[in-house]
Amino acid sequence: MLKDLLHIFVPDTHELSNGKKVKEKFNSTPYIIIGILILIFICAVITDVDFAKFFKRFTKGWSFVLRMLDPKWSYWETARQAMLDTIIISFVGSAFGMILALPMSFYLSNNFKLNKYYILVHRSVLSIFRTLPTLVYALLLSLIIGYGTTSGTLATAIFTYTVAVKMLYEHIETVDMGAYEALESTGASRAKCMIKAIWPQIKGFYWSTVLYCFEMNIRSAAILGYVGAGGIGVKLNDTIANMDYERTGLLVLVLIVVVVVVETISRELRKKLVNG
Amino acid sequence: MTDKKLTVQKQYERYPNSLPFFIALFAGIIGLYFLTSYICTFKGLSDMGFVLAKNAVSGILSPNVEKLFSLEESCVPYLLVETFAIAFLGTLVGAVLALPFAFFSSRNVTNSTCAYIGLTIISILRGFPTVLYGIIFVKIVGTGPFAGVLTMSISSMGMLTKLLIEAIEDVDKGVIEALDASGCSTFQKVRYGIIPQLSSNILSTIIYRLDINVKNATVLGLCAAGGIGAELIFSINGRRWHDCGAYLLGLVVLVLSLEFISTKIRKKLATGE
Repeated sequence: MLKDLLHIFVPDTHELSNGKKVKEKFNSTPYIIIGILILIFICAVITDVDFAKFFKRFTKGWSFVLRMLDPKWSYWETARQAMLDTIIISFVGSAFGMILALPMSFYLSNNFKLNKYYILVHRSVLSIFRTLPTLVYALLLSLIIGYGTTSGTLATAIFTYTVAVKMLYEHIETVDMGAYEALESTGASRAKCMIKAIWPQIKGFYWSTVLYCFEMNIRSAAILGYVGAGGIGVKLNDTIANMDYERTGLLVLVLIVVVVVVETISRELRKKLVNG
Repeated sequence: MTDKKLTVQKQYERYPNSLPFFIALFAGIIGLYFLTSYICTFKGLSDMGFVLAKNAVSGILSPNVEKLFSLEESCVPYLLVETFAIAFLGTLVGAVLALPFAFFSSRNVTNSTCAYIGLTIISILRGFPTVLYGIIFVKIVGTGPFAGVLTMSISSMGMLTKLLIEAIEDVDKGVIEALDASGCSTFQKVRYGIIPQLSSNILSTIIYRLDINVKNATVLGLCAAGGIGAELIFSINGRRWHDCGAYLLGLVVLVLSLEFISTKIRKKLATGE
């Protein structure tokens, strides 16, 4: 029994008929599995996981959900206005982020032989900024330039910029440089070469990134408003604080419908962009 | 090229007309201008805005060393471990919930009607804001990291399912037919035909989502569901910039190191060692 167990962890040695000893290949899978199980156990202890409690007290959250499922339609005007604000915030934020990201991603890709150190520094700064969630930007900006839609738009633009630049320069590094070199040899300026040779190759990817960022920003809009940066999140926060869950229900319904519609449209458009 | 009387003038006239492009560009700029002026009313910095910004930058750049290294409950190391634990368990539970759902809604396992129903449910689940999941779970199990685990698992379930469906729909059926022809049992078909094709894809999806979850764990702080988020938000609202710098530094280090490790593992999984 013990020998069988040991056989899983330690590779066996077989003796062949000609007296040669052959060792089995070392298999690390059992060790990894045991490590992950230990990690799960430690994490469960740290976070006091208690599923029994969850199922026992399940009905506690139920009344909240039930009240949300009965939305108050008289609140529609406010909900529509807040949602419109959110959509415009996401749109303008994505637009500014993406407009800034396009030239910057050319400067940050390695295949044009621009300044190596500048690229390295800018990329590291961007990757540090990318780790901070939108929430932190929105909080800081709304403290500095005041609560409202302006700080939400700015936070969205910054976040879009950090995410989009990385996606774009990684894509630009994979394009075919033949056309660029051909144009360069005719004496065209670098900017003209980029516009005429590289832009047509990344056009589809760029527009699909725009759609992706817009989708992501609409999704995170609820959180943005939560820290006072305008849009539907502010109203969500207010209604929950006032225990006015019927109104929350209507807001959530509007949000879900918009998210699903935007997602569907962007999926179809992106499919078209990829297939040309 | 066959045209022998081709002159520079003629070739120049063939140059594509760029007027529509400039009209579209102009319209776009005007539209963006109106939308921006509708949504953004910049009235200068808020009261003390400049001083605040200066304090914030200088405070964040000189983090509170005591917070950074001491092992108490409100300090960085403990909070980072808690954040990671929440994200890890949340991702695992989310994956466990997502797997049957993904099998149910992939077109080559069931039919396209089931797939459509599954995708719609997932879209709705994904559209529901994370903060609200947090509030619901805090109402159920009380404040603390367990509510965070539950929130993470539900909110990551949607995207995991979406990615898993793609993995499952990529499965090569030829392998299964070949195994069938050589007389394998159902168990053997699953073990040698399906699992090897799926496991690396599924694992890399889960690791990718773990990355995102650690990044998004700050949101849990808004509804007191554990992790570093609550302390971070309190420190910003209370203008304790040195503490805020310590939390942000911890978060950046955690996210970047996790990103590094996960990229390594995923590269290994994709290329097969």
